[in-house]
Order: sequence, then C-alpha cells, then structure tokens
Amino acid sequence: MSETVLDKEPKILVIATHACSYPGIDNAGQGHLEYPASVFVIRVPDPVLFPVDFYLKVFEMGYDGILIASCGTDSPYKKSYEKLSKRIDEVYKAMKEKGIDISRLKLTAICTVCAEHYVKEVREMYEKLKAMKAQAS
Amino acid sequence: MSQRTQENEEPRVGVFVCHCGGNISDVVDVEKVAKTISKDPRVKYATHFMFMCSDPGQNMVAEKIKELKLNRVIVAACSPKLHELTFRKVVAKSGLNPYFYEHVNIREQDSWVHSHEPEKATEKAIRLIEGAIERLTRQNPLKPGKKKTVPHALVIGGGVAGLTAALELARRDIPVTLVEKSPFLGGRVTQIDNIYPTGEDGKDLVDDLIQKVLKNDLITVRTNTEVVDASGSIGDYQVTLKITPRGVEEDVEGLDKAIEICPISVDNEFDYGTTKRKAIYKPYPKAVPNLPAIDWNTCTRCGECLKATNNKGINLNPEFKEDTIRVGAVVMATGFKPYEPLPGEYGYGEDPNVITLPQLIRIMENMDPNSKEFIYNGRKIKKIAFIHCVGSRQIEGVHTPKEGKELNTYCSRVCCSTTLWAANRLKKRFPDIHMFDLYRDIRTYQFYEDIYEEASRNNVVFVKFPDEEIPQVKIVKDDKGLFRIETTDILLRGKTVAVPADLVVLAVGIEPNPIRDLIEIFSIPYGSGGFLLEGHPKLRPVESSMEGIFLAGTAQAPMSIQETIIAATAAAGKAATILTKPEIELSPFVASVNLDKCEGTGRCVQECEYNAIELKEANGGKKAVIDPSLCAGCGACVPVCPNRAITLEGYDIDQILAQVEGMLKGVKAE
Repeated sequence: MSETVLDKEPKILVIATHACSYPGIDNAGQGHLEYPASVFVIRVPDPVLFPVDFYLKVFEMGYDGILIASCGTDSPYKKSYEKLSKRIDEVYKAMKEKGIDISRLKLTAICTVCAEHYVKEVREMYEKLKAMKAQAS
Repeated sequence: MSQRTQENEEPRVGVFVCHCGGNISDVVDVEKVAKTISKDPRVKYATHFMFMCSDPGQNMVAEKIKELKLNRVIVAACSPKLHELTFRKVVAKSGLNPYFYEHVNIREQDSWVHSHEPEKATEKAIRLIEGAIERLTRQNPLKPGKKKTVPHALVIGGGVAGLTAALELARRDIPVTLVEKSPFLGGRVTQIDNIYPTGEDGKDLVDDLIQKVLKNDLITVRTNTEVVDASGSIGDYQVTLKITPRGVEEDVEGLDKAIEICPISVDNEFDYGTTKRKAIYKPYPKAVPNLPAIDWNTCTRCGECLKATNNKGINLNPEFKEDTIRVGAVVMATGFKPYEPLPGEYGYGEDPNVITLPQLIRIMENMDPNSKEFIYNGRKIKKIAFIHCVGSRQIEGVHTPKEGKELNTYCSRVCCSTTLWAANRLKKRFPDIHMFDLYRDIRTYQFYEDIYEEASRNNVVFVKFPDEEIPQVKIVKDDKGLFRIETTDILLRGKTVAVPADLVVLAVGIEPNPIRDLIEIFSIPYGSGGFLLEGHPKLRPVESSMEGIFLAGTAQAPMSIQETIIAATAAAGKAATILTKPEIELSPFVASVNLDKCEGTGRCVQECEYNAIELKEANGGKKAVIDPSLCAGCGACVPVCPNRAITLEGYDIDQILAQVEGMLKGVKAE
C-alpha cells in the first residue's frame, strides 16, 4: 500500500459538542477559513461522557493530539464543565505516568460563533505537533 | 441494552456522496471517494450525486435500500445540523431504524476549509466515512421513549410579542400563562406614540391586543411576576414564579390623589428619564392593569398615600409569593432595551441637550400640543442633529464596549427608519426647524424608503461620515447653536464640516433585555450581542436549539413591530405543534443501564444533576434505574461507573473508539 497525503501529517482528534463547538466549527467552514486537513471531529453532547482511559486509548491508537472543544461554562448541562475540568486533570496525571507529553491534549471552549478562535486553536496544536514529530524522527 | 433485531443481520452499508452543486465536488474528488469506500467489504453500494437532499437524491436512497437490502446508510454531504433529520426520515420510511444512519460532514468541515488542498480533502472525506462505517456497523437500533405532554404554554414577556404569541396559542385551544415582570402590560410599543405608516399610537395598538388577551378565558395574565426557577424538559416543565405584590389591591377612591401626594420622586423609566414619577405610579392613564403599582425599590412605606385613600385599597406590607406551574413549552418574548450611551459618548451625560432617539419620542409625546415652538430645557430648538449607529455596528478600536460586555457589532435595523420618521414628524409640526442627519449608512429597508424620500424633500441635510471617524460633539454655546459637531463628510469628498445644533439626538440601537437568569434557568443558547440564538437561521428561525423553547421578537434580534408579530405568530405555531400532541417522543440519546453489569454502587446516582437515576430492587439486588424523561443525555454518569454498566445510547464509548480508529486508518486506494 502506498503512502497517502495525510499519512505523515500529525493527526488531531477534536471532540466537539452539539450545542457549542460543532456549530462553531461549522461556522469556520461557512467563513471558508482554512486549517490543516488532518483534523478529525467527533460530535457528542458533552465531553464529560469520556472516561480517562478513552483519551489514553486515542493516543495509543496513533493520534498525535486531542483538542477538547467544550462549551466551557456555557454548557447546557449542569456542572458538566466543572466535572470535565477535573477529569482532564486526571487525564494529565495519567499521561505523565505513561510518559505522554501533556501538550498533546488541550481543553478549550468554543462557542457557536467562535470560528476564528477554533481555527487558531487547531493551527497552534498542529504546528506544535508537527515540530514534535520532526524532533522525534 | 436495546433489543437486537436488524443488527443481527450482516451490515449492508450504502454510502451516498453529495456534490452539493460544486460546493463539495469542486474540492473533493467525489468519484474517488465513492470508488475507494466501496473497497470496504461491508459497503454494498457507494455512489455520488449532484444534490443528495433533493427529491431525486432522497428517492435514490430509498430505492437502493429496497433494491440492495441495505441496512445501514451513510450520506456524506453538508453539516448534519442541516440534513441529518432529512435522511433519518428517509431511512425510517424505508423500514429501517432511523438511527441506522450516519451523516458525514464533508462540506463545512472539509471542502470549505481545505479548498486549497483537494487531495487531502478527498482523503479526509474517505477517512471520515470509514469512521462512520465503523461506528454505524456497531450501532444498536435506538428506540425513543415517550412522555405525556402538559398542554399548557408559558409566555414570558407581556409586550407586543408575548401578547401576540399568547393569543395565537389560545386560538389553538391551548391554555397559556403569560408572565410580565413589570406591573403593566404592553412593553416598549406603548412608549411610541406614533407608528409608521398609520401614525397610530402604540398604546392603542397594544391595547387592542391586551383587551383580546384579557377577554380570553384560556389566557392567565400575571403581571409583576418573574420566572425564578425551572426543572424538567420539553413537554413538561415545572416552573417557579415569584410574584411581587402590586401594593394597590383595590380600585378605591383617592388613588390619583395618592400618586399626587407621594413624596418620592424618581426618574420615570417610561419616559426614559426625561420626566419624574412617584413611588406609586401608573406609566400612562390607560395603562393595563389600570391600578397603580408600588415600586418597592424606592417606596419608603411612609404611608402618605394611605391618607389619600382613607387607609383603603393600598397594602404597604404585603407578602411576596411564589407559585409553581407546569407547562409543556416556553415562548421567550422578553424584548429589548435601547442602548444606553456611555457617559461622554457624543457628549451624552455632559449636556442635557444630548438625548437619545427614544427620549426624543417621549419628549414629543409629552410636549404641549398647542406649542408652536419646540422648547426643550428652556431652550428654543432651531437646529437638530441626528447621529446614527450609536451602540450599533461598533468597530473594534473605534468604539468602546461597555464594561464586561462585547462590542455591539450588529445593525439594529430599525433606528434609521425611526430617526427619519421622527424627523419628518418634527418638520411637519415645526416647519422652521433645521435638521442634520449624520450617518454611516442608511437602511430604511422594507417599504420604508418613502420615509427617506420624504426626509430628503423636507430638506434634512444628510452628512455621511466614515465608519472609523466618530463625529466630535463640542459644546460651544455660540450664536449658531449650543453644539458644534465636527465631522468628515464623505459626500463632500472628505472635507471636514461643522454642523451646528441646539439638540443632538443619538439614534441608539437595540440590546436584548438582560435575561441572563432566564438563559441559565432554561439553558438557552445565545449568540452575538446576547440575543437568543435560533436553532438555524434559515430552517429553524423561531426555535431555540434547546427543545421546547421558542423565540418571539426582539429577544432574538432587532426587529420592527411587524416583524416581531410575524415572529411571535410563528413561535406560537411551532409551540402548538408540541402542545397539541398528547405525547412527546423523548430523545433516544439517554443513558441506559446494563443490569447484568450494575452492582448498585450508586455513584451514578450522585453524579446525576437531574435526579434521573434511582437505586431500585431489580434482578435480585439494588440496581440503578434511569428515568428517560428526566435524563438530559449529558453522559456524566457514564465514566463514573466502576463496572462500565452505563451507556449513553447513540454514544457508546467502544463505538466511538471504533469510529476514531476508522478515521485514523481510512481505506487505502490500492
């Protein structure tokens, strides 16, 4: 099998929410803002759904970065951001134990019209991961 | 776990890739996508088509399901926010579980954002679809539960939007509770004494609605009432109301006298502070309800008013009460407030002759009808300068936002027409008056162009100033006027001009009423400027994406009265579609417990913020049982279970992991 154009690119998994960041990411598309193509979005009601080992499995699988595009404190679900923040602290702890660079995971909040903010976040993470990949090879 | 029926069959996936005219296919090689994805052995059919959302596109999906016995369908097209529902319906009509469908976003999140990298965009589309196949072939058929609808609507706000929505709901035989925070009905429209194009008084216009509302047995009106808490969801909300007592309990003799002798005098909000009112007050003689009300923030309970009524009718120490009602849907008609300029903005607050447009309208109504001259603050007004876009269309670096707020970047839409309508009325009444209109752009949209033409005929001098240069209002008190406004005039090829004026009128924009508490209580999404956000700007213009919440009028965006009534009518119609059905289908995306795995630790019970989980005796032990009508579907309970006994239906972690892995691996072209 030959290598494809995205094979070498650092892969980012974006966890987006129905209420805020997914429409926000769509908004970047409506504005035709460009960002790297190796960004893959999944859509959930709230990232609070995921246990710590979910993140570790995603890294094990081969993703270079995970960007959690949460609703922040605007989450439609009660206390979910509080819970999510605590969970992500636990994920960072687990990542350190496993020797995974913690800058590969970022928790951010993207609103329904935060297109530019989103593009900035994915670009930043992409550049960081690219540099990390270059260093490793 | 859900019952297993269709998923016992081997997955037979159909993949349909949309061109979206060229929106997708100009960037993504749709033919290659379809060809590559068909190499996945689970895919029994893959194609591409010009417009999947069109009738021929939808029919093709239905036909292929039938012809090839497909049992899983993927459409790769625009955002699922647009057409996920469309295709779920197609799939359901074809006899499949509607959740055996995945909508892959290759427009907003692919072709439109990677237009300069077609090869990568094409590969991304393949990977996204492959992820969807992995997830979909593991998906269970979801079966949404049902709950009874409470056939009663709550309308929040007693202005023109709320009154209209209440009437429209009652017209469909739906009982309505209309709550209004202030002691009087009618809202902002009562503050406008002359409305284009008929010249009607807003008070009369609204009074007509109010009388119809009051006569309608299905509508319960509660003034001085606020929503302070709510629980539940679409179809059945429990809403807590706080009722502020009116203070005046009976229509007794001497109430007018009571108002007169009240020693407290405060700025009258009805006249935007251009007049004073008492602590016991009525905004205008015909205000409804017609009993005066007591403003508890300023009343000192001195008892003077009671002297005028012989100790009757007025209760200065009444009880503040709470009440709970159950409703199936909520219409948000909470309205707007005019932008209040910052101190010093165009001289506002520095000289009393710098006023806002709403203040001018109040001043015009309160003017002596026989006066041949426009006298304000003891000064004969000979020259008026209007300045447009104050608090609207603000630009970063040019305008200053209010503390803790963002700039109002939007156009308030009605100020241009309202300004020129006021200018024309002034000209009619005081033919000698000179008027200058300082604007950035003028939009007397809809049928209001004649207002602009009339203003031109009235010799209103139009001065177009640049977006990034704010006209400078200087107090000069010279023989030409009280103010001199220095500004660049684009129409005079950028020359600086000095406009004299005795009165500066700021055409202030529209801001939503501050309803942060309601937004939190009902978890309503809001957008730019704090306006409530519609589910979709084109396809769901009066529904919030929070189901069961409907938007009517200026709580959503700046609107004219006519547009407000259209929106309120539509919102009521939409709310009725829920309230006229005896049952409501619940979201299938709720948490469910695998009783075999559950050990009754109760962690999920503690974690749930919606009291949706209880420990009950089942399967020979204490087990967690979830009430799907209370479950909000957030998934917070899922990760806390030490036995992983809980699944958020539709969002099974293993299924998501399979999707994530599918996107990583993709399908290789050769």
